[in-house]
Amino acid sequence: MHRLGTLALTVAVALCGLTGSALAQREKKDEEFLKEKPVVGEMFPQMSIYSADGKEFKTSDLRGHYTVITFGCLT
Amino acid sequence: MKFYFIYKTLAHPELVASYVPPIVLEERLAHARQAEKQLGSTIPWLVDAMDNRLKHALGDRPNSEFVIDPEGKIVRKRAWSYPAQLRKDLEELVGKPDQITREEDVKLNLQAPLKAPAARGVVARMKRPRMQAVVMEPVVEKDGQPFFVKLRAEAEGPLINRGAGKLYLGFHLDPFHQAHWNNLTEPLKYRITLPDGAKIENAEGTAEKVVPPSDCDPREFLVDVAAWPQDKPLTVTVTYSACVGETACHIVKQSYVLRRKRDIDGGGARSEGAGFWDPEQFAEQALEGDKNGDGKLSKNEVRGLVLPFFDQFDRNKDGFLDATEIEEVANWLNTHHQPGVPEKNKKK
Repeated sequence: MHRLGTLALTVAVALCGLTGSALAQREKKDEEFLKEKPVVGEMFPQMSIYSADGKEFKTSDLRGHYTVITFGCLT
Repeated sequence: MKFYFIYKTLAHPELVASYVPPIVLEERLAHARQAEKQLGSTIPWLVDAMDNRLKHALGDRPNSEFVIDPEGKIVRKRAWSYPAQLRKDLEELVGKPDQITREEDVKLNLQAPLKAPAARGVVARMKRPRMQAVVMEPVVEKDGQPFFVKLRAEAEGPLINRGAGKLYLGFHLDPFHQAHWNNLTEPLKYRITLPDGAKIENAEGTAEKVVPPSDCDPREFLVDVAAWPQDKPLTVTVTYSACVGETACHIVKQSYVLRRKRDIDGGGARSEGAGFWDPEQFAEQALEGDKNGDGKLSKNEVRGLVLPFFDQFDRNKDGFLDATEIEEVANWLNTHHQPGVPEKNKKK
């Protein structure tokens, strides 16, 4: 059996293009971001969003698996 | 193993197929379903709520990453996602996989974005100064007409910060409604209702008459704002005629409330030429991956945008993409994403 069999991967995307920003600025913002809530060790925020057919989807439904959420772009 | 995509606000409106941010949930759901088609993936999509609660709760970063354990606790947080770092994180958390899925193993059945129902490139795009989206609240009426056209409102820094400067009003047809301008009737008109203390030179405007009977280019205005008090919203009312197909034409009047505040969910819109790939430059960049220097790319040397198109554009089926075949990928992207052609690339 695949050893990542219980991994749920969630990728947040938008129909968008790559963006660029000054590296130094980004590094400073990155440091600030890591200190902002929610931080490592805290529970993932609980809320309701939607499935693509418009039904309610609770982020608590992601429990039971390792989940990766990556924000990114499609193009 | 379970995978999900999450649809959030558009980071770069107008970039692909001139998509513009949805106004109501049904439109956002339609975007997610279209994205599912375009990616050709079987991974299900989740959709952030219209108040962007998930995006806000996770810090509004463009490429951040969170790993959550089975109990719902955050065990990794990265400001910027790097695939190699993620793999390392996952190996630490759950162990090494028996088999690594490579990019080329994922056979995505990519589909073209929606095409506009009428010509683009008829009306020249406005060259606007560096601006940021401002908070804009569409006035959605129960049982009202669809927002065939959506306003993009942007302001210069001095206007947001001090209340005086240029305001961009761009009225963009939403490809999801498949409507085009009806140029056989009166052109689009806008009117800004001024609150006390506001002073705007061109508070009313009319788009120029367009000769072809229909097109899908945005109608754009640059408004000179002499004074806009911070706490006084502007109301923009627009009237236009748009048709779905040849006969279903609608006269539409809709309003938006604008606030003198940067919209953190507005994304960075692009103007003319955004997303256009110069075929020769595109091929040159792709050929930087030519590791053995034979002047063409094997599937193992191809990365990024070109990879999903490898088999489609390997015209002679020799197992390689040469410069001409890579240029065809750029042409495909330009045709299907409809980014507009920058002046310097237009054929004289």
